[in-house]
Parts: sequence; structure tokens; C-alpha cells
Amino acid sequence: MAAAPPALDDATRDLLERAARLEKHAVGRLVSLVEQESAESRSRRAALFRYLAAHPDRHPDAARIVGVTGTPGTGKSSLIGRVCLRLLEREPDFRIAVVAIDPSSPVTGGALLGDRVRTQFPVGEPRIFFRSQASRGDLGGVGRRTFAVTRLLRHLFDLVLIETVGIGQSEIDVTRLADLTMLVLQPLAGDHVQFMKAGIMEVPDVFVVNKCDEEHLARRSLAELASALEFAQVGVRSPRIFQTSAVSGLGVEEVATFLADQARVRPGPGVRRAQEAFFLRKAVAEAYGRFGTDEVERLFPGGTLPGPEANALEEIEDRILASIRSRIR
Amino acid sequence: MKPTGHVLTDRDGKPTRDQPWIFRTYAGHTNVRASNELYRGNLARGQTGLSIAFDLPTQCGYSSDHPLAEPEIGRVGVPINTLDDFAVLFADIPIDRINTSMTINATAMWLLALYVALAEERGIDAATLEGTTQNDIVKEYLARGTYIYPPEPSMRLIVDMYEHCLRHVPRWNPSNICSYHLQEAGATPEQELAFALANAVGLLEAIRSRGRVTADEFDRCVGRISFFCNAGIRFVEEMCKLRAFTALWDDVTRERFGVRDARYRRFRYGVQVNSLGLTEEQPENNAWRIALETLGVTLSRNARCRALQLPAWNEALSLPRPWDQQWMLRLQQILAYETDLLEYPDLFDGSTVVESKVAALRTGAEAEIRRIDEMGGVLAAIESGYMKTALVRSQADRLARINAGDTIVVGRNRWTEGLPTPLLSGDDGGIFRVDPASARETVEALRATRTRRSQAAVDQALRALRDAAVAGDNLVPASIACARARVSTGEWADTLRGVFGEYRPVTGVEGQRLRLEGASVETVRARTAAWTERHGNPPRMVVGKPGLDGHSNGSEMIAVAARHAGFEVIYGGIRMSVAEIVQSAVEEDASVLGLSVLSGAHLDIAKLVLDELGRHGVRDAIPVVLGGIVPDDDIPALTQLGIRAVFTPKDYDLMGVMSRVLDVIGAPVGQSAAHAASA
Repeated sequence: MAAAPPALDDATRDLLERAARLEKHAVGRLVSLVEQESAESRSRRAALFRYLAAHPDRHPDAARIVGVTGTPGTGKSSLIGRVCLRLLEREPDFRIAVVAIDPSSPVTGGALLGDRVRTQFPVGEPRIFFRSQASRGDLGGVGRRTFAVTRLLRHLFDLVLIETVGIGQSEIDVTRLADLTMLVLQPLAGDHVQFMKAGIMEVPDVFVVNKCDEEHLARRSLAELASALEFAQVGVRSPRIFQTSAVSGLGVEEVATFLADQARVRPGPGVRRAQEAFFLRKAVAEAYGRFGTDEVERLFPGGTLPGPEANALEEIEDRILASIRSRIR
Repeated sequence: MKPTGHVLTDRDGKPTRDQPWIFRTYAGHTNVRASNELYRGNLARGQTGLSIAFDLPTQCGYSSDHPLAEPEIGRVGVPINTLDDFAVLFADIPIDRINTSMTINATAMWLLALYVALAEERGIDAATLEGTTQNDIVKEYLARGTYIYPPEPSMRLIVDMYEHCLRHVPRWNPSNICSYHLQEAGATPEQELAFALANAVGLLEAIRSRGRVTADEFDRCVGRISFFCNAGIRFVEEMCKLRAFTALWDDVTRERFGVRDARYRRFRYGVQVNSLGLTEEQPENNAWRIALETLGVTLSRNARCRALQLPAWNEALSLPRPWDQQWMLRLQQILAYETDLLEYPDLFDGSTVVESKVAALRTGAEAEIRRIDEMGGVLAAIESGYMKTALVRSQADRLARINAGDTIVVGRNRWTEGLPTPLLSGDDGGIFRVDPASARETVEALRATRTRRSQAAVDQALRALRDAAVAGDNLVPASIACARARVSTGEWADTLRGVFGEYRPVTGVEGQRLRLEGASVETVRARTAAWTERHGNPPRMVVGKPGLDGHSNGSEMIAVAARHAGFEVIYGGIRMSVAEIVQSAVEEDASVLGLSVLSGAHLDIAKLVLDELGRHGVRDAIPVVLGGIVPDDDIPALTQLGIRAVFTPKDYDLMGVMSRVLDVIGAPVGQSAAHAASA
């Protein structure tokens, strides 16, 4: 049986305290820690999350996680920039983190992360934090490391925006870690046809038609989107649709208001645990395939994990991995 | 009968000799007083035109008291804030008789307005002013980086200037189409031809489609378009390229725009010969390179330049000193007056070799022009990143050929052992330094003007500028009124920023390919992998380009090379403040911060960056490396400050650079690496 879980070491606790005061480098270091894949960082990470779960008074798990997705060129980054600036302006205590995900090269493992070019945030403003993340082998970009980062940032910010690129797997996966997903489209780009084919029109909770710099274009585009949605029979819930322009500022206020309201909504009971279960299962599936997921099912029938007060995610993961390894032997 | 085919004759059939081109030197630095002195000296030594270099704040539309401006004042050119500065800059220089070329783009309209206002105050008719504002925004997006506004309003400013100059400053070239910077960014001769011509076509279409000029005026606009070209060391090909330019421009203006008068179809161009091929190693050899490159643009009578400015032999090291400029001016004078070059008709008419080479270049360029047409023209090809990507690829190919030794560069990859250069042994070390204290004079002058001027007049002039911008009126008259009212460069540019917004472009890093294969890449990747294994994540490198200098190719190459080496690279684009770059490094938890500084301000910027890292408490946690035009003498000072590695143009082997970056971040040296190092 595993030894008693190690306590949070002083260095990590110091980082956490500084991060809670929104010192940028401390937040940056902690994000790296939860992203790293070494054995040492794994045990520090486990201790960190256990500590966070044990101190909800000091580090409340309070953020809303919003996925922002869409094909390249729809102006997501510029739009996020405008909306965040507006939020910071009108909500004096509001804290926002933005995580932008770009692919890594499968050959070299290297990555070029260029989202900072387009998202221009104020310098020296602690209430906004921007981080680029490389997909590092996670299919579709959004994976366990993204999830781990949201698990951390949830305790430090009020709103966490996850920006992903592309259409397909990443759009589906981002909904698994986000409480709410926004799909950004550009007028008449035919994106919705593509999305419809891919079955993705059913996914987003919010549609944003960006680059509505010209009125007639925007009107036509909106009509097309509405009919596409009707066609996809998303009628069960009626998604919000915004029209925006990062150039003229159209719609920025509305999206900001919407997000500010959203940030006050707390996740329902069991939501976070279900998200954890999904990414745990996904990680096990990537490493051990069907054999691994069968083992998860055997240990936790129906994929239901015990509540967070009972076990930290890392301990559950350890238990699953130990069990898998013993069976492989 | 005596052969006469070689005799150049005038209209009366008498033997004659051509007038030489305009001799210029690209010059300006420190402040208006020092630059004025420099210009008067150069003119006294026989220079026949002025070519003004402006500092980066002036080029990017910031007054000298703007925080971004501070480390750059007077570095790469002269700082200009108000009309009072212009009065000093041109003191005792007869602007009604001298041809003035200004390397100014995003703020070209403003500088022209100042020049016209200065003429007015001196009682000179604007119609007599001669010169050129570079004003080619397309190549700013592609290569040079001193843009301010998005493409559409930027084009509008240029078209406004054509319309205005046509009627009020008729001997002024409102813009140059620059192929110069395309070659510096790596363009092949075909790309240089095609991209420049596509650019000119885009401009002419913008003028025509706005419909504010008559057909006759439009033809005159075509006649006012001049080009600014480059000439590299392959001087026979370069000469053929300029002949191809002449022929293609004639085709384009006749076929696309129906210009009937041959005078307006003439390909008129000025040149600065290639700087890209100048080497920091054995820099004295650059004098020969410059001389040979000069042949490419002067030998053909039918495609000879109208104006020529030569870089200095030590340009890869620093800004030229007055003596360096004089030496290069003498080269022009010897060629024009001592040799018999100007006594003959065209030397190559009828040469089958030259004609065939010209035809081959034309065919290649025409195919490329068609491709751009199909994309929807020059602006579409920029916005999609097509042109930038093509240039970056050509540049990478060029570097790869030098790397592999397929292209021989004397002193760099062949015959690298040489005796030390006595030219660098003077008291100043053979290089020029801007006195950092001189910036104060500029800022003081601005403050003095601000106290003297009427604020009400300034406000009114800026309001009128803003209204004209919103209404779509021609902005030149309102700009001249601003100049008269002593509006500053930053105030003029900010007013238009308020209407047009600012541009953040597609960067050249996306979609880049580098031909980097072989043992060195494998070694570097293995070291990266070992680092990754130890730390649990790949090394993360933030690449930042602080300040206003927009030559982004170096930083983009490093970004791509680092990705190739297995790094996660966070690239923030150009024109970032030091605070922004440091904040990126801190938020991204960078393993290393790479800075690119080409403006010469590396010492100031390094200090600012390290201080800012200190403010975040990470001065020791995040190592900093720096690349740029850094004289050898400055490297110890940078190291002393705390910069961990310095890269200069000598470090063209990108994997060698990455290997040193890996040393800095403490990557283990693998066996093969150790072997390679000892070999």
C-alpha cells in the first residue's frame, strides 16, 4: 500500500501564497509544475492539489471555465483581448486567466506559440494572466495537462478562458473541461457547414459571429447561422448568439456582460468530479488503451469517482495505475 | 569608314558624355544639429543629393518624449519632432536646389508636410521642391516593420500624397516602390521583380479606383512612381535584373494602365547596394563588394540608376563615420568622372547572353506576378502571409547554402584566416557611437517648442486633421496646417491612430521551413531531449524584439530554429516594450529569454530588461541571451551586465546558436556533442 501522501513542501507553499496574491512569476511557476511530467513534479503536484482541496476557505475553487474555439483566422485572440480589457475595466476585482493552446511538432517536440502577438493585454496588471500551452502530444491539443492547469487556475482566478484552434477533436474535448463553450465564426466563411458535417454545431453553448465590420454581411451571416442551427436541430436548448467586431467594438460590451454574469454561476454538484473522471479515463486510455479503461470501470463502476473529500485525484490515479500494473505483471 | 557605334551623341549628333547619377549617402544620427553638420560636410565633399535617415521613433510616429522612444532617440537616424527641428536640420542647405530623399514610410505624409511648411516659411514655392519620400508601406509589412496603421488606411495616405503632389508639389516622388528591402529579406531576383511590380500595380490601382484624378493626371502619376532597388554581389545577374525591371515596367504601364506617353513609362530608380552580403569578418573586403555591386547598377546605360547611395564598408559593425561615408562617395566620383563609363551608348544591346538572361528573369517574374494576381493582388498576398512566407523561405535557403559551403563567402566560410584589419585600430575602434547624452537636447527642444506654441492652434489643427480623416478628405493640407502649428510627430500620428487603429500583422514565423538537417540538428535535439527528460517539460524560450526596430527576420529565424531544436517558443512579434517582453517571460515561466536588437541600442535595452526582470524577482531565474549588430567591443560589457550569450551576424549557423543556448540553460552535453566540440 502506498505510504502516507507527502505534505506540501515549503517552496511550493510559498509559490502558492505568492500566486494567490497574483504575483505573475509564481503563477507561471505553478502552471509549469502542474504541466510537468517528471516523477518529482508529480508528487509535488499531488500535494498541491490535496492542499488546495483541504483549504477551500483560503483557496476557493471558484472560477468559471470557458472554452473559446474556432478555425484559425476568425479573430478569437483579438476578440478575447477586447472582451478581457472591458471586463477588467468594469469589474474592479475581477481576475482572469487566459490559456492559449497551439500544436507541438510531432517530429521535434518543439512548438511555436504565437497567440501573444494578437492578444494585447495591459502590462503590469496582476488581474489578468496569459499563458501559452503547447499540445505536447495530446491529440487535439486539449488534454490532461490543460485540465491540470484549469484545476490550478480555478483556485486563483474568477474566469479561466481556454483558447483552442481547429475544428474536430479539440472542440469536443474542450467542452469536457469547460463549463461553457463559445464557438467563434467569421461571417459567411462556410464554417458552419464544416462544423455541421463534423457534428460540432451541437457542441457550443454560445456562438459568436466575429468580424461583423459590415452590417449587411453580419445580417446575412446571422441568418445563415440561424438556419444551420435549426437544420442541426439544436432546438432543444437555444444557444446564445453574439455579433462582434474587434475593430469597431461591436458586441464587446454584450459578451463582457455575459461572461461577467457567467462567472458568478457556480458549477453544480458533481460537475468538477465528472470532469476529473473524464480526463482520468482519457489519460489511462492513452497509456493502456481498452485494457486500462476496463480496469477503471472495474474499480469505479459507471465511471463515478468518490467525492473529492474522500480522495484526491492523484491518489485515485495511483490506485488505478497500481492495479493496472499488477495485472500486467 | 570609321566605326561610330560606340560614340554617344547628343541631339545635334555631337559626341557627348552622360550626366552622372545623383550621389547620395544615407545619413542622419544623434540630433538635428549634428545631422545638419554632417549633411553640409557631405555636400561640400561633392555629394549632390541628400538621403535622410530618421530615427525609429520618428519612423513609427512617436515623439521623443514617448516611453518607447527613449532608448532609440537618434540611434539609427535623426529624430524629428516639430517644424522647429526641420529648420535646424536644413539650416544653410538650399532646399529649393537640392534633391532630398527621405527614408520614411508610415509617417511619410507628416515629413512631407514639414518639408512643405519649411519651404513656405522660407518663401520657397513648393512646386520647386524635388525629392522622394520612400513611403512604401507594403515592404514595411513584409520586411522592415515600421508600419503604424492597417493596410487600407495606409494605402489611403499614400494615394492622398499622390493626388496632392500632382497638383502642388509636382517634382516630388510621393513614394518609392522598394525592392531593396525584399532582397535584404532574402528575395530571389525573380521574387524581387515580381513583388515590387505587384506592389506598384496595387498602388496604381488604388489611385485609379479612387477616381479623383483625370486620365491625364493618372498618366502623370505613373510617371512619378520611382523604384528603390538593391544590387547584390552577383552583379551580372543584378544588371540583367534591372534591365528586366525596365522592360517589365514598360509592359505593365502600357498593358495594364494604357499609358501612351513613353516618358511616363520609364523605369526610374535609385539604389542602395546590398548590405545583406556584407560581412563582419574581414570587414575591409566589403569595400570591394560594394564597388562590384555598384557596377551592376551603372554599367547598363539603358537601365542605369538615377541616384546611388552606398553602404559603408563597416556597416555590419556600426553606423558609418563621416570618413567612411567620404570613402564611399569617392568611389562614386571615380567611377563617374575618372573612368570612361559615361561616354558610351548601352554596352549590352544585342548581347545574346544578356538578352537571354533578361528573358529568363522576366519569365520567372511574370509567373510569380500571375500567382499574386490570382490571389487577389498585393494586399491579399500580404494579408494571407504568402509573400512573407516566401521571403523567409528564400532567406532560409540562402543561409543553408552558406552553411553548407555551396555559396562561397570570402572570409566567412572560405579563407577565414586573415591578418587583422588596421582600419579598425583607430582610437574609435573603427566604429561610430551615438552619444547617449545627445538625446536630451532633442527632448529639451521639443519641450521648448511646446511652451512656445499656441496650444489652441495645435488643438484646432489636430481637430481638423481628425475630421478630415473621418470624412475621407485629402489629409495633406490638414497635415501641413499641423506642421505650421508646431504639432509634434507623436501628436500627428496619434490623432490618426485614433481614427485608423493600429496594425498587428501576420508574422513570418508561421509556416516557416528551415533546411536544417544533419548531424548538428541531431546533436542539438538530443541535448534538448535530455533537458526535457530531466525537467519534465521542453525548454521554453520567449523570443522578444524590444523597441521600435522592425527588422524581424533575425528573431523569426531564431524562433524557427529553436522550434526545430525541440524548444517551445513563445514569439511575441515586433515592437514590444521591455515591460511587455519581461512580463511574457515571467508568465510563460521561460527557461530562457532571447532578445533581438538591431538598432544599436543593445546596451541600453539589455540593462532595461535585466532591471525589469529584477523587479519581478527573476533576474537570476531567467537567463537572457541577445542577438544583433553588436560590435565585438560591446560583448564584454553585455556579459558584465548579465547577458549570458551574445550572437552577432557571424553566428549564421543556427544550430550553433541553439547549441550555445542549450549551454546557457544547462543542458547536458551528450557524447556526440562532446565529440563534435573536440573535432
